[in-house]
Amino acid sequence: MKREIPLLISFIAGTLIVISLFVPHPPFNKMEETLNSWYIIVSGFTFILGIDSLLLYNWDKIRRKSKDWPFALTVILSFVVTLVWGIVSGVRTGHIFSTNSTFRNYFYLYIYVPLQATMFAILSFFIASAAYRAFRARSLNATLLLITASIIMLGRVPLGNAVLIPVLWIAVLLIAWVVLLEIKATTSASTRVGYILMLILMVVIAVPLTKFLYGNLSAATDWIMDIPQMAAKRGIMLGLALGGIAVSLRIILGIERSYMS
Amino acid sequence: MHLSTSIWVWVAAFFTLAIFSFLYKDNPFYKFAESVFVGSSAAFAFLNLWFFDVKPKLWDPIASGNILAVIVPLILSILMLTRFIPQIKWLSRWAIAFAVGMGAGLGIVGMLNGYLVPQLKGTFLPLWVSGDLATTVNNWFLVFGTVFTITYFYFSKPIKGKFGAAAKVGIVFIMVAFGASFGYTIMARVSLLIGRIYFLLHSWLGLI
Amino acid sequence: MNIFESMSKIDRRIIYLILFIVATVPFLFKVEIPMKPTSDVVEAYNFINSLPEGSAVIISADYDASSMPELQPMLTAILRQLFSRNMRVLVMSHWALGVPLAQKAVEEVAREYGKKYGVDYVVLGYRPGLQAVMVSMGKDIPKTFDNVDYKNRPLKDMPVMQGIKNYDDIGVIIGFEAGSVGDFWAQFANARYGARIILGSTAVVAPDLYPYKQAGQIIAVLGGLRAAADYENLVHHKGTATYGMTTQAFVHFLIIAFIILGNIGYIATQRKRRS
Repeated sequence: MKREIPLLISFIAGTLIVISLFVPHPPFNKMEETLNSWYIIVSGFTFILGIDSLLLYNWDKIRRKSKDWPFALTVILSFVVTLVWGIVSGVRTGHIFSTNSTFRNYFYLYIYVPLQATMFAILSFFIASAAYRAFRARSLNATLLLITASIIMLGRVPLGNAVLIPVLWIAVLLIAWVVLLEIKATTSASTRVGYILMLILMVVIAVPLTKFLYGNLSAATDWIMDIPQMAAKRGIMLGLALGGIAVSLRIILGIERSYMS
Repeated sequence: MHLSTSIWVWVAAFFTLAIFSFLYKDNPFYKFAESVFVGSSAAFAFLNLWFFDVKPKLWDPIASGNILAVIVPLILSILMLTRFIPQIKWLSRWAIAFAVGMGAGLGIVGMLNGYLVPQLKGTFLPLWVSGDLATTVNNWFLVFGTVFTITYFYFSKPIKGKFGAAAKVGIVFIMVAFGASFGYTIMARVSLLIGRIYFLLHSWLGLI
Repeated sequence: MNIFESMSKIDRRIIYLILFIVATVPFLFKVEIPMKPTSDVVEAYNFINSLPEGSAVIISADYDASSMPELQPMLTAILRQLFSRNMRVLVMSHWALGVPLAQKAVEEVAREYGKKYGVDYVVLGYRPGLQAVMVSMGKDIPKTFDNVDYKNRPLKDMPVMQGIKNYDDIGVIIGFEAGSVGDFWAQFANARYGARIILGSTAVVAPDLYPYKQAGQIIAVLGGLRAAADYENLVHHKGTATYGMTTQAFVHFLIIAFIILGNIGYIATQRKRRS
């Protein structure tokens, strides 16, 4: 009973929703409507699952006076203060987010918003540091990724096309440097000639390319986003969609039951 | 320079700087701000649940004597809450099974009808558009970019020969897509920093 | 240690400090560099302009404070266009904490244009259930929100809601997306009910939305602060996005300089290792 009933519930709910897509007529459309309205109510409760363990974990820390317990106390206290303030202000004005609620006007806008916004803003520092540390042209694929990212970053900001010219030439020089190192390291004369030809070709291409991108950088960025980028994203998502359908089917048919643990 | 005179702007500035201080090193100011954030986020889950869900959808109908209309979701919601009582915790599985089953059903509907069909339709493009070279070239990029990307993720066959060549072209497209995503991600993170700096310079310090 | 090696080993705190300075200075001088609006933004702008005056528009604020700098100015600019064309605005959200942010924007812009709550705009609020809410709205929008606005006031008394039953009565849905809700708008509201959708999104999310645009499931993708700045430009009301773009440009240049420095160091150390 403890296992069969949940499996049956998810089977019925999932199947009815899928059937109602293909048969949008009575009784299925009505059933779908009812199930959706139930789901809207019940799904709200999933947001509070797990919060008990967060509170218990911090409570335990306080009780045992373990290291950093004052911060555990801060967690509990701010939970209580937020909850009480929200309820009092919400009941008094009709909603927590009423325009005249002190909870919205002070707590939400001046405590919660800066906290949440700054938490995410510090990521910019980490990504800058990562770009410097880890964003290396180690292989042809990595170089391609690097070049695309740079074009996009410059293509979406003002003055990007002016900055692109020196950036492009520095990139050409860097590649030339690597190639020259290869020429020095190799002993075969024909490989050397090949490398030298490659260098000349690169410079020959770089001149008109710079000129073209200077005038059309924004359009080039649009093209990358609209065509090759889009095609790859679609390919990846089509794969994910097939995978998603398979997992959903496993859940409905009761093969995948990890949610019951 | 017009320093803000509102105590609340100062509070906001304090929390902003407290979080930024983590960049130097972990410290009590950051830990305090982080704890406030965690605690109040948890409280928001309850407040949102009550004010946007339980009150309009369960409480109000029940208060107006219409309990029968919501009896099933009411029972399921109560079952969901049994998760907090260890002895009868297993009952919450019924409600979770309902939510998971619905999620799976909606997932199939969305992926099949909302993604696979329209996206495949969008990929069936003419490979020759007479008199329009640009569209022809773009369509080639689009169709083969998509097909080769899928090839790269097809793991049931060893990546060798012609199939391997297709997968290699696929990886070029994937790298361009990842590069684009990376560039856009940097863009987004920088924008968030700009938002906070604007707050500090404008609302708090009144420099701009 | 030679110059190249030290180039690849700058302390992270120095990088942070340089970034902070570069992100602050352009603001102090309020430099503004003119930009031509990107094609996507122009498309979205023209589409909204092509709607008849008085059309109902759904604004779905599916974000919270963590992506406010990108999406709040975009929302504000679009609201200016909507109110200047006397559209009826229905504000909702699939992220509970998006409600107060969208409400703040709509209150501010409505005041500028002399628009009234209940007559010209309404805040429906948030309901959990995401895809289920979208499907349910395809059948009956007021009923999905229990026939009341976020503060429990009956919708049937509000002129703004007159004649609105489902997506057929909505000129366009404009979603402001910081996560995957935009995908669901396309997959459910469009694929199933043919709703017309414009998605404004954070730059992180934007690349993933392009397939929907190519397939015609959505009208346009507005990506990040740049799109917000372009929109401010189109509605002739400069704001934080326009001023922020100059800073954005300088920080991008800095990051590219970091990438180049890192790579010079990398090549140099490789050379040394090889020899």
